[in-house]
Amino acid sequence: MRADEDELRGLMISGLDGNAGDHAALLRLLVPILRGYYRRRASGGDDEIEDLVQETLIAVHTRRVTYDRNRAFTGWLFAIARYKMIDNFRRGRRLQPIDGLEDELVADGFEESSSARIDVDDLLGTLPDKQARMIRATRIEGLSIAEAAAAGGLGESDVKISVHRGIKALITRIQGGGR
Amino acid sequence: MNTDDLIAQLSSDVPPVRRHVVGRRIAVGLLAGALVSGAFVVMAMGVRPDIGKAMHGFAFWMKWSYTISLAIAALTMTAQLARPDSGRLRWLWLMAIPVLLLAGLGVFELVRTPPAQWLAMWLGQSWMTCPWRVLALAMPIFIGLLWSFRRLAPTRLRAAGAAAGLAAGAFAATVYCIHCPEVSAIFVLTWYSLGILLAALVGALLGPRLLRW
Repeated sequence: MRADEDELRGLMISGLDGNAGDHAALLRLLVPILRGYYRRRASGGDDEIEDLVQETLIAVHTRRVTYDRNRAFTGWLFAIARYKMIDNFRRGRRLQPIDGLEDELVADGFEESSSARIDVDDLLGTLPDKQARMIRATRIEGLSIAEAAAAGGLGESDVKISVHRGIKALITRIQGGGR
Repeated sequence: MNTDDLIAQLSSDVPPVRRHVVGRRIAVGLLAGALVSGAFVVMAMGVRPDIGKAMHGFAFWMKWSYTISLAIAALTMTAQLARPDSGRLRWLWLMAIPVLLLAGLGVFELVRTPPAQWLAMWLGQSWMTCPWRVLALAMPIFIGLLWSFRRLAPTRLRAAGAAAGLAAGAFAATVYCIHCPEVSAIFVLTWYSLGILLAALVGALLGPRLLRW
């Protein structure tokens, strides 16, 4: 079974306190998560995927001071993973994006995305918290259902239902011109 | 290398991390750069001779309030963008406050001054050199911040570069105040801000190249 947010976060914080054993345990748990993340998004041989996984593990290790203990660990992790993947594509390594590289790159464009994000934040703010979080995780941050479920500590079907209901509510709201 | 070996190797070096390391590292880079800029002002440009008297006056503190508040706002953004999951820049609008306050002061000044003197007040003695000096003094601070970023993890490199440039520019302008004798709000609003914006522009241009990790 996949590790969930609470477990990963606990190990990360313990590692930050200097516990090397927990830090090692964290990195080991991240390996399958990162392999899954990259396989779903990039086409390439196992070697290239593994290189990217290793690069990300090194980044998680060397940049660990940038983790804020009060925030979600998976958000931090996937932000690094996404950055390493885009960096890899940009350098024209052998990995190729499966699809939607434009989406990944566009999300880098800061002004457009920040103004769009404000609208999205406003809209999502009108939904129940769980629906908003799951839509954000799956549709904005680009996690898979399984990843979002692990990150939120929910079941996969729960995630699917939340996203579905949330989006339906948003559609109604937009078509109705808001409250 | 085998992934298990890599993990074993990485885990052999796990020093404890204190809280607020990101902020502290940015502060160290900023202050180290500012020392260089400060030394340059003292040695190459000279401290304004009436600094003691000026520090009792309004104009000096108006300038410092403007540049220091901009620097604080820019540093807050820099610290936020130094993390991979930087999220929304919620505090960006705070930057507008010092600008608007200074603009308000500028209008007040203009109203009290005969229009014939407006141009002289706006251009002061040093409008041609002021922005360039602020930009030049920003460079050591920007380099200091680049050092800070070497252990940090920005993922929006252009925005992070711009924020670092802006912080460097605003702090450089703060340092430059110990030399610059100008007193009018519209001078500061135009020429100081121009220098600060140039520094931010340099940061935005160089960010994607220099902040990669």
